[in-house]
Amino acid sequence: MSLNKNNILNYFLIFFLQQAFAQQSYEQENDSILPQDLDEVVVTATRTLRQLSSLPLPVTLISKTQIQQTGVTRLDEILNEQTGIIMTPDATIGGGEGVQIQGISSDYVLVLIDGVPVVGRSSGNLDLSRLAVGNIKQVEIVKGPSSSLFGSEALGGVINIITEKPSSDKISGQISHRFASFNNQNTNISLEQRLDKVGYSLFFDRLSTDGYDLTPSTAGQTVNPFENYTLNARLYLDITQALDAFVSGRYFTQEFQLDADMSEEEDANVQIQINHQASEKASFQYEFYYTNYKTDERISDPIDDELFIENNFDQQLLRPEIRFNYAFQPKNTLTAGAGSNFESLDRSLFAERVSFNSQYLFTQYDFKPLEKLNLILGARFDNHSVYNSQLSPKVSAKYDINPQFSLKASVGSGFKAPDFRQLYLDFSNVAGGGYSVFGKEVELAGIQRLQANDEIASLQVELSDLGEPLEAESSVGYNFGLVYRQNKLSSELNLFRNDFRNLIDTRILAAKTNGQNVFGYINRERVYTQGIELDLKYKLLPNLDVSAGYQLLYAYDKDKLQAIDNGEVFARDPETFETIRITREDYFGLENRSRHTVNFKAFYEIPKWNSYANLRLTYRSKFGLTDSNGNDVLDTYDNSFVEGYALVNLALGKTFFKHYQIQIGANNLLNFQGTNPLGAADTNTIINPGIQLFTKINIQF
Amino acid sequence: MKTILKTPLRILGILCATLSLINCSSDDSGETITEFNITSINPETGMVGTQVTLTGSNFPSEASAIDISFGGTMANIISASSTEIITSVPEGGSSGEVEVVANGFAKVAPSNFTVLSELVANTVQNLEAPQTGGQGQPIGGPFTKFSFATGAVTDSETDWDIAFRGTTIAVNGGVATGTAEEPVRNGNAGIAIENGIFSDLTSAAGITYLQDADGSFAVPQGSDEGWYNYNPATFTVTPIPGKILVIRTHDGYYAKVEILSYYRDAPAQPDAFMDESRVYTFNYVYNPNQGETSL
Repeated sequence: MSLNKNNILNYFLIFFLQQAFAQQSYEQENDSILPQDLDEVVVTATRTLRQLSSLPLPVTLISKTQIQQTGVTRLDEILNEQTGIIMTPDATIGGGEGVQIQGISSDYVLVLIDGVPVVGRSSGNLDLSRLAVGNIKQVEIVKGPSSSLFGSEALGGVINIITEKPSSDKISGQISHRFASFNNQNTNISLEQRLDKVGYSLFFDRLSTDGYDLTPSTAGQTVNPFENYTLNARLYLDITQALDAFVSGRYFTQEFQLDADMSEEEDANVQIQINHQASEKASFQYEFYYTNYKTDERISDPIDDELFIENNFDQQLLRPEIRFNYAFQPKNTLTAGAGSNFESLDRSLFAERVSFNSQYLFTQYDFKPLEKLNLILGARFDNHSVYNSQLSPKVSAKYDINPQFSLKASVGSGFKAPDFRQLYLDFSNVAGGGYSVFGKEVELAGIQRLQANDEIASLQVELSDLGEPLEAESSVGYNFGLVYRQNKLSSELNLFRNDFRNLIDTRILAAKTNGQNVFGYINRERVYTQGIELDLKYKLLPNLDVSAGYQLLYAYDKDKLQAIDNGEVFARDPETFETIRITREDYFGLENRSRHTVNFKAFYEIPKWNSYANLRLTYRSKFGLTDSNGNDVLDTYDNSFVEGYALVNLALGKTFFKHYQIQIGANNLLNFQGTNPLGAADTNTIINPGIQLFTKINIQF
Repeated sequence: MKTILKTPLRILGILCATLSLINCSSDDSGETITEFNITSINPETGMVGTQVTLTGSNFPSEASAIDISFGGTMANIISASSTEIITSVPEGGSSGEVEVVANGFAKVAPSNFTVLSELVANTVQNLEAPQTGGQGQPIGGPFTKFSFATGAVTDSETDWDIAFRGTTIAVNGGVATGTAEEPVRNGNAGIAIENGIFSDLTSAAGITYLQDADGSFAVPQGSDEGWYNYNPATFTVTPIPGKILVIRTHDGYYAKVEILSYYRDAPAQPDAFMDESRVYTFNYVYNPNQGETSL
């Protein structure tokens, strides 16, 4: 590790030296790569247009320029470079990755495109590599619970992808192709035009790769070859002076190839939005959204092609919503909204198509009771057909001590509705040993069915306890920030704490006569995450933006802490087999959490050469993958820790003849591969496929 | 007498003993040789090294003036006063009379003392507990039966205490659970799962023992329910540290068991695909004295 760090240092020395010699006095302002300008505007924090710097909540903004100059193609890649946000394996390394914000896993992070949710989670995790970033204006990330505006799933935060609107009356667009290691081929084409009353934007993206392997010494690949396509068409209409409309259709399809097996994924959505400026002060937004996510997976016997597992998944969401804004004064805005969700899911593991619906109301008052004080009060009520109703309030405040210093504080609640799986799963694993899992709504019927078939040996819970409704998982989040801005420097320190309760866990309902168990779901776990985020952005030179970010994180299961304090948790030394009573010092905390994460970015532009270069470093300290000594607690006696590591990404770009851009770069420049502690003994199991070189050619017209 | 300091008293005692050795009367000390009495011995059973208290009257308060033997083997005296002698069961001591010789008198404790056999502490390595079926097929195959009295696997239909098949542990007490090919319960064994450090659990008393019942094993099945944890990320079965199986054997003896591994040769980091599973390694301590609960 120390070697890597030294290398990084060297790169930066070279970087700065070059810069020092090349220094000239450009006074022009570049496009902001690292947002610190006063004109940066976001919508996710309040559902109204708000200046980023004026918001009382922790918000991260990723600009289009940053996305373009780093050469990333997918949302997950760019998120990983932001302070307090990391992409981390969701279960096993090489499987899917999930986003983690303030130590909160991706199950509890809401992902939106233009304000409407992306659906289709696999075991709770949303695969963000599904989302191409070729046609977006910016990505907004609001940290902390935001259920007061967005309802379910917005516990850890909200990620909102804002697409680009056409602005020029000429047909403009771009065609690009990016070629990278592992035969990763990415083509995208975009086309847009804005006429007097009508605008349109078309986007096409194709990605294919041969995949890669993290276990070179064993047969098969970790990530199989796949190809996917994204299509997005958007239409903008100005109907009258006061009335405009926006229609968007998006389609994504992905296919994995592996001999006789097949895995297909489809994601389609339609969004219609009508904006009506009813008066100077009042405006209405009418929104209609429909989305459908489908997967179709078939795993066959490699010998005789007989079908092993067929796993189909078909989720639909229909959401009409109305929003109303009223500006009492320029700085006092009342927002109110109402909507309804109609959701349904058909899945191989369910007895039948299941559906539920919910209705919601939300309101928010954003005002300035004092010249220097901004307050936002908000609340949302969600009424649901299956689980208990939720009321989610939130209060945020910002006080400007002086033009440089301000204080921010917010307290909000978040919730996550029990998902379809936790409510309706009706699954007996024939291939995996014959255990059964029932969702809450079907557990009583399921147990009774098994009893009638004489498959139940003994019940572990009373029949009368079955079918009690699950509570929504919920959290209360606290953020307290200190902001300091000066001409070239923008810095923000944020202290956060998130208390989760009623997290849903599995429990054994009954023992089966085949020796296996019947599992059900129950609200049980309580956890917390807390820590500090520090963000520094500095314009070192007119053309050099540098930024550094750090997050300190503590994430623990409260019940495990209690058990440890009671002296009920033990570990076993894997070598000596000695049993040791665990103390708080031995408890490492929740899986997949690093105590320290660091990022460092430098964006450099050389206008006279029409070029730019950027170097980004991310570091995460040691983290544990899973308990390995049987006590269900990640402790220092476990041998499942991944040592801390740094990744360095580099991109260089140059524009020729105004319209042609060439970009080259390397992700994971230092070719870090690491070691997977769970890899089989005597095999080389790595956690990162190593350096990925890329070249991108872009033609703009 | 009561005001006399201990040191002068001790000197006096030594003097007295010396005098008595040269056959001189101790009349000049003002004391007469009195006959001592033993009124009780506590405990009445114990292993070598167990502290035993003899209560009575008129004991010489000088340890060197007293001889105690357990079944003829001399024991060390830890402390002595006129009403209490504390000694410990000597190495090689055998059950029977406890005799005290002092002041020219020889007396036997009112109850005989039973010297208990030493605890048996051992590690069983690679006990194979195969099963058939699984993965959706009916589970079957004979259980591997174990006897604490012999410390070994047994084929006996009756003289077994616990039995293993896969992760399932049966006990020779209660009734058939209903699983295929299970052994007949004909003993009165019971089992309890305690949480703690193996060496800290020293008594099997005051514990509720469960027996196998129709539809359920005394040792609950399933990850985190009984003795093991199954990790779906690594596919490994790991004995939960701190879980101690306390067992009443089929014939009323007591034992404790700490399972260390479910894989052959107890690898430090088992590989679910490379290491053979259903192979137990466990520590046990067995009390070979019927009904005795110390462990």
